[in-house]
Amino acid sequence: MARTLINVPATAKRGEVVEIKALISHPMETGFRTGSDGALIPRDIIHRFACTYNGEEVFSADLFPAITANPFITFTTVAEESGEIALSWTDDQGNTQTETAKITVGQDPVE
Amino acid sequence: MRRLAILACVMVAATPIVHAAEAPPGASACSGCHAPRGGASGGIPPIAAKSADEITATMLAYQAGEGEPTVMNRIAKGFTEPEIRAIAAWLVAGR
Amino acid sequence: MTPWNPNRRAVLKTLTAATVTVTASAALSRPVHAQGAARVVVIGGGFAGGTAARFLKGHGLDVTLVEPNPTYTACPLSNSVVAGLRSLDRQTFGYDGLRRAGVTVVHQRASKVDAEARRVTLGDGVALDYDRLVLAPGIDMNFGALPGYDDKAAEIMPHAWKAGPQTTLLARQLEAMEDGGVVVMSVPANPYRCPPGPYERASLIAHYLKTRKPRSKLIVLDAKDSFSKQRLFQAAWEKLYPGLLEWVSLSSGGQVTSVDPASLTLVTDFDRVKAAVANVIPPQKAASIAALAEVADRTGWCPIDPVTFESRLRPGIHVIGDAAIAGAMPKSAFAANAQAKVCAAAVATLLRGEKPAAPKLINTCYSLVAPDYGISVAGVYAPSDGRLADVEGAGGTSPLDAPASFRAKEAVYAESWFDTITAEVFG
Ligand SMILES: Cc1cc2nc3c(=O)[nH]c(=O)nc-3n(C[C@H](O)[C@H](O)[C@H](O)COP(=O)(O)OP(=O)(O)OC[C@H]3O[C@@H](n4cnc5c(N)ncnc54)[C@H](O)[C@@H]3O)c2cc1C
Repeated sequence: MARTLINVPATAKRGEVVEIKALISHPMETGFRTGSDGALIPRDIIHRFACTYNGEEVFSADLFPAITANPFITFTTVAEESGEIALSWTDDQGNTQTETAKITVGQDPVE
Repeated sequence: MRRLAILACVMVAATPIVHAAEAPPGASACSGCHAPRGGASGGIPPIAAKSADEITATMLAYQAGEGEPTVMNRIAKGFTEPEIRAIAAWLVAGR
Repeated sequence: MTPWNPNRRAVLKTLTAATVTVTASAALSRPVHAQGAARVVVIGGGFAGGTAARFLKGHGLDVTLVEPNPTYTACPLSNSVVAGLRSLDRQTFGYDGLRRAGVTVVHQRASKVDAEARRVTLGDGVALDYDRLVLAPGIDMNFGALPGYDDKAAEIMPHAWKAGPQTTLLARQLEAMEDGGVVVMSVPANPYRCPPGPYERASLIAHYLKTRKPRSKLIVLDAKDSFSKQRLFQAAWEKLYPGLLEWVSLSSGGQVTSVDPASLTLVTDFDRVKAAVANVIPPQKAASIAALAEVADRTGWCPIDPVTFESRLRPGIHVIGDAAIAGAMPKSAFAANAQAKVCAAAVATLLRGEKPAAPKLINTCYSLVAPDYGISVAGVYAPSDGRLADVEGAGGTSPLDAPASFRAKEAVYAESWFDTITAEVFG
């Protein structure tokens, strides 16, 4: 559907707060603009973003037409165990695009 | 005393190097590209020897999409005909 | 990106109130000089300040220009120096021409401005009183805005965004690089000095690599998704430098968030890019004297009145050139020169106790995509709603479909413009 960029740390200590970054190339058409022919350009936005960590949702966001094109979302979560982080974007047509990354969490807990 | 000072200003302003006689809007920018003493640097067409009528006619032609300008058509479109006439007159008066 | 601050309004209100008070007291304590010409001090001898000094003198005023350096090194065409196509000598100008025009030139740094007493203090302690002050100090790198980057880092990863030793350093690094090396440029978000400048530099570095080190590559990491003359640049890059120059936009993860000079690495939100040569153009702000004079706002730049260029924060101080927030006008040498002339006329008019008329200003910026391939962008500006706005229907870039002869002509004009404007300012 669209080009995405994600940044999930490959490794972390147990209990460490890790930062996750996600960007999707998307016009985020508001539905309020008119085209060169004077007609309204239909709304077409990513309206939901979610992150799961080994299947459990740890972060989500509802997006609105006022959000800029190519939305860039940064958030943090706590590294509990090794596994998979999945990031997904859902657009107005109901299409969901998902990207995944592996995170390896070490044995030593963070001090 | 104050009046004297103002008079002095007006007199200095009449010297040709920097003609202070209130430049009309836009006019003072011309000399950034068009050297006041001819085209010694080559390249950009000199306007130092052109009459006010020639300058005005060229600018109006560029506005109308005529001639072979590179950038002056884009600049000419930012001015009304009276503004162009005023600029041309000021450029010539300052020589 | 800038956090929204709910107190901003309150701060602005206080500032306005302060300004009003100062105006009243300054007007009472300092009438226009009755004897001799009014005194104007100009801080900064670049395109803006040099032009202002000359034209203020032309208006019959007593003008002192304060500039720390004995010579000025001009930035326009310095990208050609970076690419080994031009010598730095041709960028360097002295101040004797301004002296001959009757300007008093003092080679000192202005270290303090007292807007109420209308007095500038110089590095050597000398104080200069003025009736009006023109501040034209250009820019400083905003080192705080890019973690890892500072004066020391700039000796390893040059910005070359103030022409001089930095320009030479970047040129030398390119020269010393082995064929096959990766050159990385970092370009900041708006506003910054010379909006098309980084892309002209990218073009000319690409030209250098293509002709001298063809196995090398240039990556441009950008904090923006669009830029000045973009379509023209990109069309030219495709034609002249295919596969050699990669532009990474903001939404492709191009924004550099920190740098590590020790490992010559540029860090983005999604990647770490190691360079053989790194040219880091950091975010910028008005030069430090603007903040000391309290004419810079929280953006780091100086808000001005679009008719007189008088500061919105401190009366009696006019700000021109790159340091000013000039609405739609870009931070260019052409704009600095045009603003200086309008400002000089306004200062002379104000000192006569009259009201300056609304000006129109022009800008034209040439960029070289290759030595014989020039493109331009132009604009006409007028005050509207308290700011300098584009005059509709005017301006724009060179045509996308122009023949090679048109590009060659604009390349010649770029140099011709440089010769004329530097002669006008320093000749
Ligand atoms: C690579 C590059 C290419 C460019 N190409 C072009 C181009 O093709 N066309 C174009 O129009 N523009 C171009 N520019 C932009 C142009 O160089 C600037 O817009 C222009 O120099 C701004 O002029 P200024 O007078 O405001 O600032 P400057 O030229 O920076 O002058 C400021 C002066 O103030 C002095 N100063 C600073 N602080 C103090 C103080 N406290 N006391 C006394 N003096 C002080 C400094 O020493 C300096 O001499 C380019 C810029 C770069 C970096």
